[in-house]
Amino acid sequence: MAALIRGLRAGRVLRGLGSVAVQGTLSPQCSNVRRGFHRAALLRLANDSKSDTSVPPPSYHEVDTAGESSSSSAHGESSEDAQPNTSFQDQSGEHGEDYETEEQLQARILTAALEFVPQHGWTVEAIAAGAETLGLSSASTGMFNNGAGDLALHFVAQCNAQLAETLAEQNNQVQLGQAESKKTAEFLRDAVEVRLRMLIPYIDTWPQAMSILLLPHNIPDSLKHLSTMVDDIWYYAGDRSTDVNWYTRRAALTGIYNTTELVMVQDSSPDFEETWAFLDNRIKDVVNMANTAKQVQATGEAVVQGLMGAAITLKNLTGMNQRR
Amino acid sequence: MHRFVRPQLLLRDSKQPLLPTAGQLCTNHKSVVSSVRGYVVLPPTNDEEEKAMLHRMMRVDHAGEYGANRIYAGQMAVLGHTQISPLIQEMWDQEKQHLRKFNEILAENRVRPTLLLPLWNIAGFALGAGSALLGKEGAMACTVAVEESISEHYNCQIRTLMEKDPEKYTELLQLIKEFRDDEMEHHDTGLEHDAESVPGYQLMKAIIQAGCKAAICVSESL
Repeated sequence: MAALIRGLRAGRVLRGLGSVAVQGTLSPQCSNVRRGFHRAALLRLANDSKSDTSVPPPSYHEVDTAGESSSSSAHGESSEDAQPNTSFQDQSGEHGEDYETEEQLQARILTAALEFVPQHGWTVEAIAAGAETLGLSSASTGMFNNGAGDLALHFVAQCNAQLAETLAEQNNQVQLGQAESKKTAEFLRDAVEVRLRMLIPYIDTWPQAMSILLLPHNIPDSLKHLSTMVDDIWYYAGDRSTDVNWYTRRAALTGIYNTTELVMVQDSSPDFEETWAFLDNRIKDVVNMANTAKQVQATGEAVVQGLMGAAITLKNLTGMNQRR
Repeated sequence: MHRFVRPQLLLRDSKQPLLPTAGQLCTNHKSVVSSVRGYVVLPPTNDEEEKAMLHRMMRVDHAGEYGANRIYAGQMAVLGHTQISPLIQEMWDQEKQHLRKFNEILAENRVRPTLLLPLWNIAGFALGAGSALLGKEGAMACTVAVEESISEHYNCQIRTLMEKDPEKYTELLQLIKEFRDDEMEHHDTGLEHDAESVPGYQLMKAIIQAGCKAAICVSESL
């Protein structure tokens, strides 16, 4: 929600700056200014590539944040656009429906950048190459403060979203009676396999991505993604526990997922057969452990019952149970 | 307790008001109600902050009912064969009902239960059993102290929700009010049955209530 409002503000500012040239020497005081310039350049180029844009006249609008106001005032004083910009024909001044938020633009760039990961690795170069395919300048990598981390996290989020969609779709089918519901172990196995298969196109560079995701400043986000994914899988597997089992199940699945991922990056068998065999074994282990735990509990309860019975018998025998 | 169900997917026409009947299958409007009942207690929301707040509230309420359950279990374990046992059993049954309700809400809304449940399990049982060892008055005093804490906590939550948006949270408010009334009833029952006549009543009450406050504080986030 807050991000959307930020994006709307940015959009309004940038439309006001639409016809302003990007100056060669930027004012060094405020990095916000540079960001503002970048955004203006990007959206100008983005608008160039779009055929239909309605942009308000080049008067700068009121902005809320100090950073952006400094950038807008700097823009207001700069000269008019040197290059003819044929897209700014419409002077109606109304907000077009086709502007996107900064988040959406970043997402588009990162998705495009994934194509270049096999070539450049999980680096800023890949993001730059991706930006260029969208017709944006490679300087747009300045938008990404986290660089390669942004790319890796975006990919993980995208995969998780895809997985959630697949699981929801499967669940839908089961609800509508079009598919058989799977047993828990099988369901977990299939879900983890689906998710890990999304790594296959990037498997050669995946160790690099994993190390990026383990950097201290990326750990909170990558842990959040991991826990959401594991929660999703268990939810669709049918887990509705509200006790400590909630935690033990998710911890177990996290362990399974992480170890299988590690096995996968060094697996050279055809279609990663060894990885899936490893996954099978791990899931069997967990199921065995759960069964063993149940058995231990049942045995324990039976033992306690036996002891209580023995105690009561003893009390009866010694006459201690009589009410006096 | 291991509970495994397949997610119940009911597509509800979002334009229709909440009806207390089974949900209808409508493929036009994709608002999903994952419940067999026709209404939900927590209003669906897209705002992350609001969702976090509601989840915290449900988490701590669930922990509270779980603890209360264990307290009564401890009391019954000691006083189960005395004259007071039907009364304690009745109050325990009501708490079980509350817990069942919160289990449902947590499961439906994918709320994470508190990590400290095993701790409340042991602590609650110990408190119940310990207070019952002081006799029937001790058990009643413990009940009074705990129920007073819980009622205060529910009142706090009711105030918060009323301040935010009473109409949006109607069902939730109704639920919490109902539970709060039940807890107040337990509190009054405890007082009726000579809770105050236990030696050290004020001290015991203060300690127990401090413990409850700490438990509530911690269970919200953890």
